[in-house]
Order: sequence, then structure tokens, then C-alpha cells
Amino acid sequence: MEKQKKLIRFAGMILEAICQLKKQHLRQLQSNLEDFCQKCDGACKESHLFYAAVERNWTGSAEKIRSRISRNLNDFSYNLQRFKEMINADKGKQPKFSDIFAELNQIEQDLGELQFDLKKKTISVVTDPVSLDDISFGSFEIRLNISEICKLYTESPYIVVALEPNPAGADSNVTHPHVSSEKLCEGDGHTAIRRALEDGRLCDFFTMIVNILQTYNPDSPYVSLDDWDGISCYDCGYTVSGDDCYYCEYCERDYCSQCSSYCQMCDTTICLGCAYECPSCNEPVCKSCTAACKECEETFCKDCLTEEGLCQSCEDNRKENENEEQESESEKPEACPAVLSDSVGETAIHA
Amino acid sequence: MRILYVNNHGGGFADFINIEEGTTIDKLFKEKMPHEESQDYLIRVNRQPVPKDYVLKDNDRVTITPTKIEGARPVHA
Repeated sequence: MEKQKKLIRFAGMILEAICQLKKQHLRQLQSNLEDFCQKCDGACKESHLFYAAVERNWTGSAEKIRSRISRNLNDFSYNLQRFKEMINADKGKQPKFSDIFAELNQIEQDLGELQFDLKKKTISVVTDPVSLDDISFGSFEIRLNISEICKLYTESPYIVVALEPNPAGADSNVTHPHVSSEKLCEGDGHTAIRRALEDGRLCDFFTMIVNILQTYNPDSPYVSLDDWDGISCYDCGYTVSGDDCYYCEYCERDYCSQCSSYCQMCDTTICLGCAYECPSCNEPVCKSCTAACKECEETFCKDCLTEEGLCQSCEDNRKENENEEQESESEKPEACPAVLSDSVGETAIHA
Repeated sequence: MRILYVNNHGGGFADFINIEEGTTIDKLFKEKMPHEESQDYLIRVNRQPVPKDYVLKDNDRVTITPTKIEGARPVHA
């Protein structure tokens, strides 16, 4: 009995939401009709001006008005066509309360127990576990927000929630090849799903969504089944299998073979971003295998520094300096004892 | 006689149509979906599954829903 009361209550809410949706559609038609009338008024004004210009032989003005009319006519015919499609579109008959109530009962019969949330005004259907090509995605909850039905033409009023998520390795938001961030991309079912909701055919609505979840479209998934367990390279975004990815221990990210390397000294796997190219030997090394030259303070791999901690260039400079010092030392003349003249103690006397 | 015919294939269709007396559900399917196989569709009459040779009656509600509908990733301009 309690269940039936809930069904009745929600049937009433859904019926009202669908009525609001239809009103909104009519308001949109009304707005388009007003736009169309304004454009017609504009065309009438141009017609009067054109008549006056022609009558007065103002050929220059007439030509300008003619160009303007020509441009406006292109927009006019486009808008007219759109408006015609909109006003002729069959939006279906208004469902009755008994129809909605029967739909809710049919959902319970065909798809399992309906779940209600009075506070959030949602009704939900939980699917059986979904499996595509031996990859299991678990069950999904299809949650229709009754308050959002009136926004059907601009937003999706339902979400698809993974209850036992097995998301794609490359993107944790993708819980199904056609579901990203709890939004289903309806593909071929888009128009029919909307039509079903407009008509209040809720069982068809939920059934079609279930059927999309159980069908794989290899031509246009968010993540293909082949790449499902793959990992996205942090650098280039390419999806690689777990066996083909490389983990950089410095930035703790996964990379493809193109975006990773290894330290030539210690063989640690590093990404190209964390690798340092020694300016001396041009080999990639990790940070732990680098050191600064004590002289010029530039960073080199440890292999390219001497025992004294100098780079080759500074070591060469040091040797050169030492050699120069040695040479300059060897060129200095020897100190000889002073040769005294016969006249000891002479001194210059100025006149 | 008149029945409510709902077809969720493609863009969807839902309206009353006229059919001949004695038309079975199988015959209706073959007329409306000549290039399709019935096992690829969920067919209900008055919200219930029926055998192929079920003879349709006045004001019956027929629903045909494809079991395989391909979703897609949206393509942004």
C-alpha cells in the first residue's frame, strides 16, 4: 500500500513536470513567433523606404536599401525554415495520470524495483551488472530528477551512476565507454529518449538507457574497450597498457616509452621532465647522480666531475693556471751578489 | 481499426494508426520494420510480452524498442 501511495505521489509529480515542459516548449514557440513578426516588421519598413527612394529617383539610396534587404532575406529564410520546423514538430499528446501510473508499474515489472527519493524528487532504476567484451562495469543507477524534466531541451535531467565502478585507467570519470562524469552520451538513442520523456513513456525512457549501457559502439566511445585498462601518459596523454608504461620515481607519474628515459648512471626510470642532460657528456641522468662543479657551480653528472669536484673545463683551466705559474717561476733570473767597484763607498755629489 | 503504435527506433514515433482487422503483431512488425529482425527488438502489446501470432485488437498499445542502441562520445565543434 505504501508503495502504491509513493507511485501515485510520484506519478503526480512527473505529470506536472511534463506539463511544465510542454508549457516551456509553447513559450519557446511564442518567442520565436515574436522574433519572426519583428523581422517581418523590419522587412515592411525597408519596403517603404525602398518605395520612397525609387519614386524620388534616389538610385544610390535605393541600391543601399536593396543590398540591405538582400542580406536580411538570407537570415529571414533561415529563421523562417527553423521556425517552420519547430512549429510543425509533433510534440506528442499530453499524457494522463493513469498513463504515468501505468508506466511506473511497468518499470517495476520490466526493470526491477523503482527507487524513490522524495526529498531530491528523483526516481531511480538499478540495472543488472553490465559487461561488454569480458570487461565488467558493475551495475548502474539511472537517476531521473523530476524537477529537471522541464529543462529537457537544455540539460539532461538524468544521470547514470556507477555503483561498482570500474573506470577507465586513462580517465577515472569514464565509468562506461559511453558514460563520462555520470552523463550518458545517448548517440542513436538521443531523439527517441527525449521523445519518450516528453510523452511520459517512462518505461521506454529507462529501457532505452539500459539498452545503450548494454551496447558497445566501437566507433565513438569516451575510452575504447581495448584501452580500458590502459594508463594515460602524463606528458602526451597517449594511452598505453600497464606493461608498456614507465613510472618516474621523481614526479611519481606514469609515462609512455616516448616520454620517459633512464638515468645513464644508476638506471633509474625517469621522465623527460625530471631527466637532466649533462652539459659535458649530453647523457640523461637523474638528480641524484648530479653534482655541482666546485669552481663554476654548473651541474654535471658525477661521472663528468673529477675527484676534486671540478668539471673538465675547470679542471683544464686549473691545470693551465698551474702550468703558467710554473713557467713564470722558471723564467725569473737568479740573484747575483753585488759587484762592487774599486772605489768603495762612492757616492754621487751634485754640482 | 485503430491502435496506438509506439516505435522507439531512430527518432521515435508515437501515434494512433489504422490497421486491418486480424493483423497479428508479427505482421505489423514486418510491415513497419521490413529490414529488421524481431529478435533485435523488445515488442510489447498493452505493456505485456505477447506471442508472434497475437491478433491485435482495437485500441491496443504496441511498443517496439530496439535492444541494441549505440551510444557515442559527443563531438564538440
